[in-house]
Amino acid sequence: MHAFANPARFLKIARPLTPVCVGIGLLMVLLGSYVGLFLTPPDYLQGDTVRIMYIHVPAAWLGMGGWTGIAIASIVQLVWRHPLAGVAGRAIAAPGALFTAICLITGSIWGRPTWGTWWEWDGRMTSMLVLLFLYFAYMALANASDERTTVSRATAIFGIVGAVNIPIINRSVVWWNSLHQGPSITLRGSSISSEILWPLLPTVIGFSLLFGGIVLMRMRANLADAKVEARMRRMAAS
Amino acid sequence: MNHWAFIIAAYGLTALGSAGVLLWSYLDMRRAEKAVADLENRK
Amino acid sequence: MKAKNQRLILALLGLVAVVGAGLLAVSGLKEEASFFYAPGDVAANDLPLGKAARLGGMVADKSIRHDADGVTIHFVVEDGKAKVPVVFKGIAPDLFKENSGVVAEGEFRADGTFIASNLLAKHDERYMPPELEGKMHKSGSLTS
Repeated sequence: MHAFANPARFLKIARPLTPVCVGIGLLMVLLGSYVGLFLTPPDYLQGDTVRIMYIHVPAAWLGMGGWTGIAIASIVQLVWRHPLAGVAGRAIAAPGALFTAICLITGSIWGRPTWGTWWEWDGRMTSMLVLLFLYFAYMALANASDERTTVSRATAIFGIVGAVNIPIINRSVVWWNSLHQGPSITLRGSSISSEILWPLLPTVIGFSLLFGGIVLMRMRANLADAKVEARMRRMAAS
Repeated sequence: MNHWAFIIAAYGLTALGSAGVLLWSYLDMRRAEKAVADLENRK
Repeated sequence: MKAKNQRLILALLGLVAVVGAGLLAVSGLKEEASFFYAPGDVAANDLPLGKAARLGGMVADKSIRHDADGVTIHFVVEDGKAKVPVVFKGIAPDLFKENSGVVAEGEFRADGTFIASNLLAKHDERYMPPELEGKMHKSGSLTS
């Protein structure tokens, strides 16, 4: 568990991993977007607007996956007192909020030509908006404490409590009558025709790698700041 | 109605947002790690 | 017991309690949080008269009828359990079609007709290229 507790050991892995994540991630996103924009067939009903799916779905997955990561980091921080957990939670918040916002915005742009509305207060959209506000609250809590490079324990507890929203978002289209359609991809298979579906794979993996690269960069920045801060304190004391 | 205006808007905003956060995180990391390097060179 | 294990149990109990409480609260909202009434809900309960409501379902096959004035549309919304006639005056969205999903905003009349002031198209979770339509598209189910 504490194999990576030493920031030096973490950095040894994070340094070469960062450009790999960002590079391959960008490549896959660009490739998937190109195929999704120009090569795949349009949908029989929606026409070309279905192409918004190739960015909307990865954004939704990363918005929800980001908070799942925050919740896991919070548990690790509270239970094992792992020094990197708080650093990771803090680093996830900004890209998590970014992709949640992208999901909401692209969904709104997609909704106008297909449903005939920019926004409706249905279960899926409302619970996703709540997730965005949870990210904002998490960031505000993290910045409100004296901890500059990790997060306070109160913030970590908030990270766990907020996780209740994740299954609600996931199930919102099943539990309630909603304007948003039901899940297309389930354990039983996909109701999206494979010619339309496949560019989603590179964009989902690509955006996930980009997300990972951003988190690594933010963790490295936090760890470097912590090091400078500690050195300054020692110099002031001596 | 031209659907491509909606598609371009969606992709454009996504590119802008992702590139912005990517660049911000990169510059912040560079600044922080440079500060550590400077500190180590000073002693 | 080690302090670490104690904290783990406490954290897991906390997580279970929070998620359980949240899901319980949400299941209590089941009726209120629904975006629309399905025709079957309307048939099983009293008509929600005199207040704004939404009605969602499939537009029944060959039920769309345009009035001579050019703006009034009559159609039937069904969900396999019941059917509700709808009158709408205005411009329908592009995706408003027979055998396709719709959510109408408006009010019920005492005779059971729904007077819609706005229409939203609801598409289902199936996506396919145009040449596959008909081969794979099984219409008539509103999966949600």
